[in-house]
Amino acid sequence: MGLRRRRLLTPYLLLVPGLAWLVVFFLVPALTQLYVSLQDGNFEIGYTFQWNWATYSEAIADYDEQFLRSIRYAGTATLLAFLISFPLAYFIAFKAGRWKNLMLLLIILPFFTSYLMRTVAWQTILSDNAFVTERLRDVGLVAEDGRLLATTNAVVAGITYNFLPFMALPLYVALEKIDRRLIEAATDLYASRWQAFRRVTLPLALPGIFAGTLLTFIPAVGDYINAQLLGTSRQYMIGNVIQSKFLVVTDYPAAAALSFLLMGALLICVFAYARVLGARNLEEAVV
Amino acid sequence: MSRESFESALERLLAERRHNRRRFVGRAGSAAFATSALGAFLSACGGAEGEGGGEESEERAATVNHPKEEFDEVVFSNWPLYIDKKVLRDFRAETGARVKYIEDINDNQEFFGKVRQPLQQDRGIGRDLVALTDWMAGRWIRLDYVEPLDKKNIPNERNLTDNLRNVSFDRGRRFSLPWQSGMTAIGYDSEQTGGDVTSIEQFFDPKYKGKVTMLADAREAASMVLFMQGKRPDEATIDDILAAIEFIDEKNRDGHIRRFTGNDYTGDLQRGNIAMAQAYSGDVIQLQADKASLKFSIPEEGAILWSDNMMIPQKPRTAYGAEVFMNFVYDPEVAAKIAAYVNYVPPVKGTQEILAKQDAKLAEDPLLFPTAEDVARLSGYPNLSVEEEQQMNEAFEKVAGA
Repeated sequence: MGLRRRRLLTPYLLLVPGLAWLVVFFLVPALTQLYVSLQDGNFEIGYTFQWNWATYSEAIADYDEQFLRSIRYAGTATLLAFLISFPLAYFIAFKAGRWKNLMLLLIILPFFTSYLMRTVAWQTILSDNAFVTERLRDVGLVAEDGRLLATTNAVVAGITYNFLPFMALPLYVALEKIDRRLIEAATDLYASRWQAFRRVTLPLALPGIFAGTLLTFIPAVGDYINAQLLGTSRQYMIGNVIQSKFLVVTDYPAAAALSFLLMGALLICVFAYARVLGARNLEEAVV
Repeated sequence: MSRESFESALERLLAERRHNRRRFVGRAGSAAFATSALGAFLSACGGAEGEGGGEESEERAATVNHPKEEFDEVVFSNWPLYIDKKVLRDFRAETGARVKYIEDINDNQEFFGKVRQPLQQDRGIGRDLVALTDWMAGRWIRLDYVEPLDKKNIPNERNLTDNLRNVSFDRGRRFSLPWQSGMTAIGYDSEQTGGDVTSIEQFFDPKYKGKVTMLADAREAASMVLFMQGKRPDEATIDDILAAIEFIDEKNRDGHIRRFTGNDYTGDLQRGNIAMAQAYSGDVIQLQADKASLKFSIPEEGAILWSDNMMIPQKPRTAYGAEVFMNFVYDPEVAAKIAAYVNYVPPVKGTQEILAKQDAKLAEDPLLFPTAEDVARLSGYPNLSVEEEQQMNEAFEKVAGA
């Protein structure tokens, strides 16, 4: 093989491991899923391939409520997580000094316990006759016959709590990277502290905001643990429907079709978001 | 799926319809010779979407022979907290074989979903014994997913209570033996209700809005409403069931039903989040140890009686070992140990007498040994065809999300 040809081939050869990974762990499962979603039948006689596109339209017609709810809950939780995480990350990056590592550890520490256990713990904390609920009743924030557990608030709070580190850590990394001299320069040029924050800190933190919101929003939309443990069937999200279709109703085509629709909806959301924030941020967020 | 296997599947479905029709005739006949009230009902009990096994399994049942063999392990999949683990140690002491006891059945459908693929491909599922509820046991038998029992290895089978001998989904018990029976009705916190619950109407009393839970199981939830509407679940039609599900939908939408649960209603009861739950009898007796105000009521309208049935899934590693274990737990001494721990209705004759010596109070508990009066009010699950079952599950799934 001539040197020239080898040079031409090298980039492709270097791509092989990555491509193989994508094919084996993404393309093949995705195509299998597409194949399953177009099957028809029932769980006793089995399912056969039929080009049954009706599953998709039925899935949208039957579960639009859960789709919209998932996006609403995940969106609210992402926003809340951002509002909590940004000051936190800002403080750790700029003000925590020698406490920095300890504070980062404190954010991560609860997540050494299993996701499920943490959510079950919230069941106890929020239960109807527990301390928290009783005090909130005293103050009047919860109605006398009201409750915290098994409500929308509990579910959204659970999602926010469970995904907080996915928001806080990328934000911290982005803020930490900012060159302080840029902020100094801004103030030297007569920017007020607010203007410096808005014109320098915030734009430079955008990649972190972008990464954090995606890392929070995407898994949150598909989450079903919080709705199942802290909510009721009136709070069930699309993840609950898919889980139940797959394991309880054993309607695999519908489960596969719903997963595909969820994937499609998320892709659209991400692309729209990337357009708004600019694709450069997407690249930087990934790097 | 190839055309050929699709056709054989279709054939099986048609064969099953034939079975359904036969069951209809069979049930009318069996009522004539049923001796006790419990007998009459249990012979129809279980929902059993079909009668007896598939043709293939009928044939295998006639010629079954599991010769004695060495075995050092029996793998048993069962529901959580459903045995006194001492029994497993006793079994090891007696036979030298270990029981690998897996508590991985939380839901009949879910478990079926998990192991369906290997079963359909005619492979084993790495288990020698499973315990499934009547209607699901019926489905496995009908689909030829189980190994027939060689009764020569289970002499203690003679201790099986008479009323459970001839169930519609397994005539003559050639594929299954009951593990425990139990009732599904109302568990309640007498502190919150301020008195006894005697009727399902109380469950839907507006003053308990947001304070009751129902099971996330179409059969269980619909059956309770059917009782309230004066219909016996085992005689209900699919239309009755869909109407019952509609009623549940209404009660769910207006927030009366707090949520639909699996076994986790126990947590809500313990923490006082709810006043009443659709519950399983044994669970509530177990919970009483921690919270004395919890009680279980078989309401005047009626309740479901079910059994979980031990079966040997196809291609087991040791069918003989599984049978030795079944024989072991059908010894009344062992059955009494299990009953004292799990507090469900033991299917083994002589258990009550042995239990009376150890724990007189438990031996008289009508939730372990139902009175004739209670039995008259009990019913099995609805009898449904495959299509009807799917219709029911889909309707309920839209309501309860499960």
